[in-house]
Amino acid sequence: MTMTNPNDDMLDDLFAQAREVKPVPSDDLMARVLADADSMLPSSGVMSAAQTSLWARIMDAIGGWPAVSGLAAATVAGVWVGVAPPASVEDLTASFIGDEVSISLFSTDLMFDAGALGDG
Amino acid sequence: MNVSPDPFAGAPDAALLVAYANGDGQAARLLTARLLPRVLAQATRMLGNQTEAEDVAQDAMMRVWKIAPDWRQDEAQVSTWLYRVVANLCTDRLRKRRSGVSLEEVAEPLDTTPSAVAQMQTQERMMALSNALSQLPERQAQAVSLRHLEGLANPEIAQIMDISVRSVESLTARGKRALADIMAGRKAELGYDDDEPE
Repeated sequence: MTMTNPNDDMLDDLFAQAREVKPVPSDDLMARVLADADSMLPSSGVMSAAQTSLWARIMDAIGGWPAVSGLAAATVAGVWVGVAPPASVEDLTASFIGDEVSISLFSTDLMFDAGALGDG
Repeated sequence: MNVSPDPFAGAPDAALLVAYANGDGQAARLLTARLLPRVLAQATRMLGNQTEAEDVAQDAMMRVWKIAPDWRQDEAQVSTWLYRVVANLCTDRLRKRRSGVSLEEVAEPLDTTPSAVAQMQTQERMMALSNALSQLPERQAQAVSLRHLEGLANPEIAQIMDISVRSVESLTARGKRALADIMAGRKAELGYDDDEPE
């Protein structure tokens, strides 16, 4: 199917060489990108360090991401993000784990009043 | 100390993005480890220039951090979106290159061992290809790059560029023909003779 046009051959060879280009990011570039990530983190600190590790423990309990069937990953994360006050987490944990729950995605503002969760 | 296994193992990019948006630094590190190499590779192949590619890569990752709070799981895959971001950033650079100085001066190698000479030739070729891309209409340059530099299939390119598969086929065919014409006069210079490519 390919016409063996010499110009095409050269181009195909150039393409092949280009596809082989697989640069490894330098440490410096990695550091710059991570610094950017830090600078863009929400300053309100939606999740404190304690809540971050709590989330990690909850995911352990669920069985990790492969076990989260029937829920979009972002939905799950959105659910847990909304669980702001630690006191209500344990009750909610019991009701969410193991259930197939259909939850509509929250608005872009992932911080919402925990009181509203009671209506959901 | 928490010695539980990595809770992010196997998590999709979108989930990491949401986690990052909620302040999780580990998610940022893992996202960077996953995404930065791909982004850098795509940019390097289109631009043929390491420094410019690194700038584009950093810009693209900045867009990742910025969009994280608004990322919608049901809209697109992170990878699809990122291909588009990088392609657009690259064609922006190529457009500026068209109106600016040609960057094809490659420094004389200090050592003339065969491997160093070969490496220089590869750099020259990559830069020549990139400059040729800069002379194409931008949509053609993007389609050709996604098809022939990234090796993506037409349906995926259609998603990335938000066009029909037929349009992708048309753009890649025309773009490739145009590139071949642009490069035609440079065969000897780039180390190709009429028999076989080196």
